[in-house]
Amino acid sequence: MASTSPAATNGDAAPASYDLVLKLAPHLDRHMIFPLLEFNAGRLKEDEQDKAREILAAKYALLKKTNMTDYVANLYCELEGLKEPPAEYAERRQKVFHQLEKYEQETAKITELLQRDDVVNNLRSDKVANLEFLKKEHEVTLDMVNALYDFGQLQYSCGNYADASELLYRFRVLSTDNDKVSYATWGRLACEILSMSWESAMEELQKVREGIDTRLANNPLAQLQHRTQLVHWALFPLFNYDKAREPLLDLFFNAGFINTIQANSPWILRYLTVAVITNRGRAKNAGVQQKQMKDIVRIVKQEAYEYQDPVTRFVHALCIDFDFEEAQHQLVLAEEVLRSDFFLLAHADDFVDSARHLIFESYCKIHARISLKDLSARLGLNNDDAEKWIVNLIRDTRLDAKIDYKEGTVVMNHPPSSVYQQVIERTKGGFFRTQVLTAAVAR
Amino acid sequence: MSRFFRGGDDSSTDSSSEEEEVYSSEEEEKVKAEDESSSEEESDEEEESEEEEESDSDEEEGPKKKGANRFLQSDDESEEEEEEEQSEDEATTKVKSAKDKRFDELESTISQIQNGQKINDWSLIASEFDKLNRQVVKLQDGSKAPKSYIKAIADLEDFMNETLAKQKVTPKKMNATNARGLNAVKQRIRKNNKDYQTQIDAYRKDADAFMESDDEIPAPKTVSKALRFAEAPVVSAEQQEEDDKGFSTVDSRGKVVQYTPESILKHLRTIIESRGKKNTDRLEQIKVMETLNKVVPITPYQKIRVLQTLISARFDLGAGGAAQMPLDQWKAAERDLASLLEILEKEKDHVVVEGAEEWDDDDKLPTIPEGEKYLKVPGSVVSLIERLDDELTRSLQAIDPHTSEYIDRLTDEGSLYNTIFRGLLYYEHLRKDASLEVPQESLNRIIQRRLDHVYYKPAQVVKILEENAWKQSGDAGKLINILSNYLFENSEGIIRARAMLCQIYFLALHDEYYKSRDLMLTSHLQETIANFDIATQILYNRTLVQVGLCAFRKGLVYDAQNTLQEICGSGRQKELLAQGVMIQRYSQVTPEQERLEKQRQLPFHMHINLELLECVYLTCSMLLEIPLLAQTGSSPDVKKRIISKTYRRMLEYHERQIFTGPPENTRDHVMQASKALAAGEWKKATDFIHSIKIWDLMPNTEDIKTMLAKQIQEEGLRTYLFTYAPFYDTLAIATLSSMFELDSRKVSAVVSKMISHEELAAALDQVTETVIFRKGVELSRLQSLALTLSDKASSLIETNERTLEQKTQGSANAFSRKDNRGGGQRGGRGGARGGARTGGNPQRQAGGTQFTGGALGNAVRG
Repeated sequence: MASTSPAATNGDAAPASYDLVLKLAPHLDRHMIFPLLEFNAGRLKEDEQDKAREILAAKYALLKKTNMTDYVANLYCELEGLKEPPAEYAERRQKVFHQLEKYEQETAKITELLQRDDVVNNLRSDKVANLEFLKKEHEVTLDMVNALYDFGQLQYSCGNYADASELLYRFRVLSTDNDKVSYATWGRLACEILSMSWESAMEELQKVREGIDTRLANNPLAQLQHRTQLVHWALFPLFNYDKAREPLLDLFFNAGFINTIQANSPWILRYLTVAVITNRGRAKNAGVQQKQMKDIVRIVKQEAYEYQDPVTRFVHALCIDFDFEEAQHQLVLAEEVLRSDFFLLAHADDFVDSARHLIFESYCKIHARISLKDLSARLGLNNDDAEKWIVNLIRDTRLDAKIDYKEGTVVMNHPPSSVYQQVIERTKGGFFRTQVLTAAVAR
Repeated sequence: MSRFFRGGDDSSTDSSSEEEEVYSSEEEEKVKAEDESSSEEESDEEEESEEEEESDSDEEEGPKKKGANRFLQSDDESEEEEEEEQSEDEATTKVKSAKDKRFDELESTISQIQNGQKINDWSLIASEFDKLNRQVVKLQDGSKAPKSYIKAIADLEDFMNETLAKQKVTPKKMNATNARGLNAVKQRIRKNNKDYQTQIDAYRKDADAFMESDDEIPAPKTVSKALRFAEAPVVSAEQQEEDDKGFSTVDSRGKVVQYTPESILKHLRTIIESRGKKNTDRLEQIKVMETLNKVVPITPYQKIRVLQTLISARFDLGAGGAAQMPLDQWKAAERDLASLLEILEKEKDHVVVEGAEEWDDDDKLPTIPEGEKYLKVPGSVVSLIERLDDELTRSLQAIDPHTSEYIDRLTDEGSLYNTIFRGLLYYEHLRKDASLEVPQESLNRIIQRRLDHVYYKPAQVVKILEENAWKQSGDAGKLINILSNYLFENSEGIIRARAMLCQIYFLALHDEYYKSRDLMLTSHLQETIANFDIATQILYNRTLVQVGLCAFRKGLVYDAQNTLQEICGSGRQKELLAQGVMIQRYSQVTPEQERLEKQRQLPFHMHINLELLECVYLTCSMLLEIPLLAQTGSSPDVKKRIISKTYRRMLEYHERQIFTGPPENTRDHVMQASKALAAGEWKKATDFIHSIKIWDLMPNTEDIKTMLAKQIQEEGLRTYLFTYAPFYDTLAIATLSSMFELDSRKVSAVVSKMISHEELAAALDQVTETVIFRKGVELSRLQSLALTLSDKASSLIETNERTLEQKTQGSANAFSRKDNRGGGQRGGRGGARGGARTGGNPQRQAGGTQFTGGALGNAVRG
């Protein structure tokens, strides 16, 4: 409260300066950065040849190490202005094919086995027993299992995400090597994200999370790093798959993860804030949403010295400083930022709408009488639209408000919370808690 | 014989005694000259060795003093009394020189022994013999013991042998005391007589001649004195003869060895052995070693050894008691240490390592062993440096900080820092060679010392220090960062914690509030600090205070108050920061504790200004407490929340005063400002706060003042609203804005915030730009009582739950407890989750944001 919103000083910076790709990139996989670059390239205008080239070079550098040889070769041609890719690409391509074939052979047997019903039906939940069983009955060796893993990695590197995912799944069923299993889980998560099968991605995400919580419990540093990475990866499902929204928000607000965000990657706050704000009204449980909103306000305030962008400044202005004009100003900026963000593009309208609700809500909470004209200006709408909007809002949120058309005002009615109500509130849980207590004592 | 002398003495006339004096002084000089010419050095040596012996025998005596010796003691005393009487008698009659008196005493003791021999009383003999030995030391003339003494001990030995022989033959037993006395004498006499063996032999050979040689010469002169002086030349003559016999070793050691490289080490050994013993003249030893160091061209090994011993000997001067080391010695030690380091830097094949094996260097000089790169010398450079550092601190503690002497002394810190730095380089060099196995710890210790010298200084000062040390200066912050990071990675326990704290302190000092706070939080020291030693706890407290002050400079009043609360709220700042000893009124402190406490005190230049601290704390408390008071004042049902008890107490005291004069000290200023603020007169409050002089000690005084003025305006507005809300229906924002000189946007923001947090029952009217206060929020007495009752009921349930949970060790986590985010209304950063609520102060919960608690009680007293 001591420091006034620093937003006023540097609020007008260009939206480009809020581009987070560079901050996100270190925590993402190569293959995941690619769509981000693609998106950036797509937003460029005609006259920005230099930048386009820059991005192209970045793309090339990014993919050089992968085995997507054909695509890399094309990129190289484009970058150098050649017609035919140099011979080394053909060579590499040949090599990759060889490798693929080799692994194919190595894993043929086990793949075939796992497709047979009689074998699969004999598998139990005990991995060691499974392996024993396969060894005895079908002469499967550990090397063959590991070959599945390597093959999966190669497939992934070639961009065959679905195949890779399948292979890694099989590997996981059989392998007893805990480290490799957890790598495989990460790998599958990446595959599912890239092939946009969100449901299974969520499953994998859950598995990775459990792994982090249990396996790395006594290695805080690794835990922090893994969590950071997971948080970044989770952005893909968070903004692309509606059903993932709530479990992911729960995940983000989990103590361990929120600490990770605060300590290691405060820029995630932008996404978290947008997710929370757009989630209003959609959430099944209004209480949870309110709590999340409170949390986000708290964290935004705490991290204000480390990270700021129009989105967090909007929250700061609205919920901490109660400076509505500033909030309005930041909202405009935030919209721009959202429209230029890979993840948030689709949610820009949604966000603006929800943010207006938010402004109005807290405005109404504080004011007894509001001029309609002023409000419409504040919401960035014309008079008639604003009136319609407010009527809708009053209906939706069951606010105790009336529009006085003659005066051109909205009149709020704040019933004071009655003392009786307060007493009832405070003593409500008493009986139940006492009962629980007695039960606990009796035990 | 003795009787005869004494008789003569008695009979000597007063008139002649004057002549004696004249004569004797001449004689004395002559004797001395002779003596000196022959063996000045030797006498030193002799004295030393004798002292050793004496102390040896003293030690032996120790345990025997029990039992039978109690009896003997009393005997002793009575005898002494007698003697005293005697001597008193004598003293009344004539004046004697001190030496004469001693001689007389010696004589009487000898006669006592003879008496004892006659009646076979060994216990008497034993005690007298002890006395005799003590006396003879004082009387020793040059290297010679008095004749009579030699005679006595020779006789005694003979007699003892006789007695022992008799004992074997006769079945009759001696009584217990006697037997014990005999045994004691037997042991001691064997030991003692060895030293005088030559003289005794001479005596035995021809007892008469030995004694007579004395008697003849003094005859013409006045008796007793003549004996003494006449004795000397003869003895020296004898001695020269005897040089070839028994005394030769002693002699040559003192004289010849002095300047030969071979025997330096032997010499050192004797010095080392005498270290810590009673009556060792340390200054003398130091002098000897200084000459050794200067004159003799020696090998690096010897040089290193001499310097090591010399430095430790210098430190010994300061040891014992609270007295600090003399200044010149400190400087000399610092120089020696520097030259030691210089040698070590030059002679790369000589290394000083802890735990290296001692060389048997008596006969030949150690050389570098086959197949090894280094000659390892046992010792520890880091310990010497640490000691040097400690001594400086001690002397700074003792000097009055307001004198120029203090400043003079402080300049020595530069050279000390230099030495530390060189030591550090040396250790880093050693560490490079893994074969030496230099423990990491030594390096850590020395780095810690370096850090200790810089962490509390502003960057510019550090820069100068660094520049002086090695003509190169980087960024001070970077330096601290490197040092503490190194320690953090390579050490553990206390050094690690200290490194962390030093870094935090430095950051806080340089206005890096968030960095220092985050570091403080991630260090988790607040949980473990109670387990550390007191010096670290003090450092922790200092760091805490510094972080608090930093928050204040940043304008974060809430955080500042919260951080300073634990230290300043206790009223024991002085003790907690080791900046002075509190007068204990109730608990008695033992002198031991007091001494320890004095030792812990920080030297003045490291102090944090306590007045400034108090001023900051009180100002912060005022800004938080006054609106709170106004709020709780208007609605009695709000739980009484106290932020700072100390502040409240002061305020109450101030209010009780009937007459209040103009403010004199800081406290008065803050109190009067509080009063003005509570009354809504923010301008007056600002004036009071601004007229506090101590703000000048802060950097950017003007910024701080403007910051404070702004805070006062805002808090004044809040206080005003709280206080006068019940008396208004509506208030125009414009009025408020002109009243507090804030722009209307700010006023409405403040009001909005209060409304939103439900601190104020009101609403804004946008059309007319007014605040409308809601009616009917005033509760009747019954209603507020009902509210209180319901509160109490729910807290009762909570307490029960907690008790049960404690009993069952958290296993019965069955009941879902409400997430009690207590008190976080006004920007409380405490994300208080569950957790035990500490009495009355919900902010201080986990949540990871507050780092108070811990080191307090324990830091005060061990």
